[in-house]
Amino acid sequence: MKKIIIGSLLVLMSLTSFAETPEEKGLAIAVEGDKRGEGFGDSKVKLKMVLVDAKGRETSRDMRVKSMEGKAEGGDKSLMIFDTPKDQKGVAMLTFTHKTKSDDQWLFLPALKRVKKISSRNKSGPFVGSEFAFEDISSQEVEKYTYKYLRDELVDGMDCFVVESDPVDKYSGYTRRVGYIDKKEYRALKIEFYDRKNSLLKTLSNGDYQQYLGKYWYPSLSVMTNHQTGKATRLAYENYEFRVGLKAKEFTKNSLKRAK
Amino acid sequence: MKYIMKKSLLAGMVSFAAIPVIADVAIDGQIDYESTIFFNDSLNPNIDQNINNSISLDAEVYTEWADGSQSLTFKPFYRFDEMDEERTHGDIRELIWHQVADEYELKAGIGKVYWGVTEANHLVDIINQTDGVEGIDGEDKLGQPMVQLLLERDWGNLDLFVLPYHRERTFSGDSARLSSGQTYVDAIYESKNDEANVDVAVRYYSYIEDFEYAVSVFHGNSREAVLGADAVTGSILPYYPVISQLGIELQYLYEGWAWKFEGIHRDGVPENSIVIPSFGVVGAALLSTSLSLGEDESYFATTAGFEYTQVGIFESRVDLGWVVEYMYDSRQEKASIGAFEHDVLLATRWAANDNADSTLLVGAVIDYEYQDYSLSIEGNTRLMDGLSLEIEARVFAPDEGAPLYGFRDEDFIKLTLSYYL
Repeated sequence: MKKIIIGSLLVLMSLTSFAETPEEKGLAIAVEGDKRGEGFGDSKVKLKMVLVDAKGRETSRDMRVKSMEGKAEGGDKSLMIFDTPKDQKGVAMLTFTHKTKSDDQWLFLPALKRVKKISSRNKSGPFVGSEFAFEDISSQEVEKYTYKYLRDELVDGMDCFVVESDPVDKYSGYTRRVGYIDKKEYRALKIEFYDRKNSLLKTLSNGDYQQYLGKYWYPSLSVMTNHQTGKATRLAYENYEFRVGLKAKEFTKNSLKRAK
Repeated sequence: MKYIMKKSLLAGMVSFAAIPVIADVAIDGQIDYESTIFFNDSLNPNIDQNINNSISLDAEVYTEWADGSQSLTFKPFYRFDEMDEERTHGDIRELIWHQVADEYELKAGIGKVYWGVTEANHLVDIINQTDGVEGIDGEDKLGQPMVQLLLERDWGNLDLFVLPYHRERTFSGDSARLSSGQTYVDAIYESKNDEANVDVAVRYYSYIEDFEYAVSVFHGNSREAVLGADAVTGSILPYYPVISQLGIELQYLYEGWAWKFEGIHRDGVPENSIVIPSFGVVGAALLSTSLSLGEDESYFATTAGFEYTQVGIFESRVDLGWVVEYMYDSRQEKASIGAFEHDVLLATRWAANDNADSTLLVGAVIDYEYQDYSLSIEGNTRLMDGLSLEIEARVFAPDEGAPLYGFRDEDFIKLTLSYYL
């Protein structure tokens, strides 16, 4: 009897897997990828951002980011503090990511001691002059996109799922993104961004992945290349630290004023 | 024995001093060179310069200890101005100790606080005195002695202030452009404690999704002086009454729109345009007997409007914002000189989103009762890391009889180079 049940269960499972639509498979890949990132608690990282213009001239920015994982329904919270350029030193940005509604974002301007709420409408705009848009640097919640599995493909010798993700928010700057996710560790090796006219706008390449806490994979270098302007932005992540014991009160609108 | 005593003494000294000594001290500095070019000769025959140069130095010394839960910030400031000896001045912008505990935050020293949401003027913002010689927009502030307790709770934030000392507003000297051409004599106060009156303030602020709000109450020496004129010498005498102010700030963000409101209700301000007869007596002595103040009155003032932002206009990286704000003061023509009693701000804000973070704000303040206006352009760009350029230009087109009529030939363009150390 038991055998029969197991047998029919197996049949059922294989049937559902056969019947899985590209949308279901795409979502399943996104959910699995998200799951593998869960449980990091909190983190600290230093960022070096290098903006490269079409003529190859470089300008750089240094930032520090503290993040705190959201619990249950709440999304992640992050605090970014600018160290350079020198005139921007002390500028800080607080972001509350939400799974379904728009993110909340506040900016602290130290010269005026003013905290300004930023409209979520600007998500498609460039982040501090770089090729990253605000929406590219915010925490990637599963619910913000709809998915479609496209095909399998090799990237740098790694077997990858190629999954399309379409932003739910109408103010996104993209019609779709195409991600290349390695089957073994569910790391996004490459993401292509298509603009509102559906032509290829940018490619993000994530390289030099490192594993932290024996579990979590993070890239050490992300390069965003704009194919339409020839500009690029390199983002190097240095000194990742996890579970450093950050507290919720370090991620409030009030705490922005003392961010150092 | 001697040795041991020495050692324990040393240990005691070390443990006492250890906290600030071990901590890293971060020092930053900024030097500004500023040149202002006036398009016309001054109406004041005593002023013959059309170009004014000035240099200022800002520094910040910061240290923290006890795992970052306590810190000390010191921000001195000094400016040298070629024409205006009043503008050649120094100030401690901040010298403040800050403790962050689990249930509260405490600050003590000289600090700076900003309240408000609107762009055209800053009605609610009352903690710090305006450093009036620094700029015409009133956005530069003097350091304010304070003790501040901050409570952050589920029901919102509550900031409590005790302000034990009043700073007098700085005014341009009689040899400066953009001045009244008058000298200012020492201020007098309604409070018997003069500048040592202990002012108090409370502000509650919170938000619900995209709606942010704040309510504040202030009682003490007004930051804005009532200006009296000496009938004989023409000198201006600032008089600081004791006032009570209720302030409200609201902001609602919806898609590209930011709707903003600031309102104040003030009590205890005597009616303006007091004339002080001069009998050749020292100001204060005379005034204690014969200062003729109007009746104390209460009034309200509001600034309300919106900013609408278009992201990436014409498929470029440029963001364009439209700012419209309406300003009202219930005193109308009796309002103080700096007040906007029936004015509208129309402005556009451009953000290039380039490597140099270039921005441009072009605006007009139109007084629809006096039928006059002033134009302003404020731009900012980075020339290289550590060197920025700011441009400010203003054109005044006041109507005869309007408060700004004296500024009709004071149109200027100001270039500021900022070097960050």
